[in-house]
Amino acid sequence: MRPWFLAVPLVAYLAVFLVYPMGEALALAFRDSVSGDFPSFASFRTIEDDGLFWRALVVNIVLPALAVLLELVCGLGLALLLSGRLPARRFLRAAVLLPFALPEIVFLTVVRHLVTPRGYVNGALASLGVDPIDMLAPGTAAAFLSVTLADVWRTTPIVFLILLGALAAIPVELLQAARVDGGSGWRRFWHVTLPLLRPAIVAAVLLRGLDALRIFAAPLVLTGVEGVPVLSTYAYHQWADYGDDGAAAATSLVLAALCLGASLPLLRHRESA
Amino acid sequence: MARRALSGRAKRFLWRGAVIVILSFGGTIAACARPPDALTVVLALLPGELAPYREIVADFERATGREVVIVPQQYPDIRRALAAEAAAGAGTLDLVELDVYSLAPAAAQVARLDPADLGGEVEALEFETVQAGTIDGLRFLPHRVSWQALVYDHEVLGQPPETWEELLDVARAHPGKIGLKGALYEGLTCDVLPFVWSAGGSGARLDDAGAKAAFAFFAELAPYLDPRSAVFKEASIAEAMARGELVLHLNWPFVMSLYASEGLAPDRFRAAPLPRGPKGRATVLGGGYLAVPLNAPHREDAMRLARFLLSHSVQERFASELGWFSARRDISVGGGDPLLAGYAAMREVVRPRPERVDYPAISRQWQRAFRRVAFDRLAPAEVLREGQAVLGKTDPAEKVSG
Repeated sequence: MRPWFLAVPLVAYLAVFLVYPMGEALALAFRDSVSGDFPSFASFRTIEDDGLFWRALVVNIVLPALAVLLELVCGLGLALLLSGRLPARRFLRAAVLLPFALPEIVFLTVVRHLVTPRGYVNGALASLGVDPIDMLAPGTAAAFLSVTLADVWRTTPIVFLILLGALAAIPVELLQAARVDGGSGWRRFWHVTLPLLRPAIVAAVLLRGLDALRIFAAPLVLTGVEGVPVLSTYAYHQWADYGDDGAAAATSLVLAALCLGASLPLLRHRESA
Repeated sequence: MARRALSGRAKRFLWRGAVIVILSFGGTIAACARPPDALTVVLALLPGELAPYREIVADFERATGREVVIVPQQYPDIRRALAAEAAAGAGTLDLVELDVYSLAPAAAQVARLDPADLGGEVEALEFETVQAGTIDGLRFLPHRVSWQALVYDHEVLGQPPETWEELLDVARAHPGKIGLKGALYEGLTCDVLPFVWSAGGSGARLDDAGAKAAFAFFAELAPYLDPRSAVFKEASIAEAMARGELVLHLNWPFVMSLYASEGLAPDRFRAAPLPRGPKGRATVLGGGYLAVPLNAPHREDAMRLARFLLSHSVQERFASELGWFSARRDISVGGGDPLLAGYAAMREVVRPRPERVDYPAISRQWQRAFRRVAFDRLAPAEVLREGQAVLGKTDPAEKVSG
């Protein structure tokens, strides 16, 4: 038996479950779902005429950018904090990783119970005499922030793990040498730690940046399709609520183009890093 | 790099594994295969409905000796399966159930039925329900019907609002506690059309006088709506009411069973007829319709099964065992259950949605127009004019049903 034969199941699997569906999705997007004409831009015109699509497109750019930025700041801060010799360090690391370890739907259900109008957060605010805040009110900045923070909370552990590993790989001698040279804590971080972390930071941004563009469950579970729309929930809405497979496929194609457009400069940057 | 040949043991292991996988796959396929003479029926049944339904159909199997395979699916998936078989020119489905609002687009994929094949069962059905299934000839049969009523908090309101004016009074007295299903989906159209019809609108045009009157009313109601109306659907609006966050909303009969199981009905939450508009009351016909696909392999037996399912005794069992509403005039709604009295009172004013092939486009425009008026607070007349312009110059008389 030739070794390449071992790859046949995987290639067949990818062909059936990845390549073929992608081809079908392309065909669906460019087929008029009413007349059946091919090629046609009818599905693209359908989404172009829908204000919700444009809202979803804007949110699909702003929300991931903000989320990745916050994840980077939080992940780096937590990695720096928990790489030191803290009491109960293992417990704290486990606590940071917990949201990522939970099934996404379980985590989002917990978040939903926290931020609904009669949720735990508003309960705590009420006990302090503060008026309740509707943190999931559709189309508001509060709902946008709630979704963003929920996503950040759940996915910061990925960035944290990448940066924690990179921090552990920094030779202690370099930091000791910087200390002997009189470098303050901030200067050691800025001139030694951060430059050495740069490849890991770029990798984290690349990984999370592309993943964040595909955000789906958080906005859907917390606010529904219309509350904080993104491209994947908009595609789901076209498919599930209207049965318009063509418009859903066209939206997915726009999302794929967005991911591709974002990945090329990030990959180029990673090579240079 | 040197190529290493697989050891004899590894080869044997791989070959045995491959044989086991192939045998398992083949066995699974064989186990799942249908007997060639079985009727395949695809219905939108809930998990709890499947067992009682199978028991009822067992009577048909005993009487005819024909096995019936019931496949529970969701309506959108049934529509896709039907479309796929129609496109393929061959099929395995003998009888399918479709949501009433998707009948017109699916008409070309199902067979025209001869009422004579159904005995006297068609004559026993409500005329409007048969009309809804008549699209270029009789194609769809009302398996079960449903419609919305007003669900209100009796402890808070005492009496339900009877008219639009009273509804507005309730809204003013309880700001933010009135809910409508305003998410972008068919359920929103089901909340909008009763108001349009109650004002004399056709439901097929956005710019007729009835539509304008209904949307002027929505504009007055908008400031008092729960803002989450923008994302409410059937389940979420029912849950909000159960939490005491709403005093009334429109919903389907399932919600009363839900509230009864939670001890919230009938003492606290009750169902009542929808408020009367300038031209009376109306509510949207919902439910599931049976159809025989164009490529059904056992068409005659499918018709026999359809006739059995529409018979008085079976429809009565559906009503008593599954709680379904029947389209037959000789079966009462809810069997006199006070929990469903509000629904029973609406039976005479149930109306089908516009039976046109472009109905999905019309429905979308109703949804968009409502959201622009209720949530973006735009002027109703302008919004309706723009919505109608998008639909184009379609003739309201261009009805596809015959």
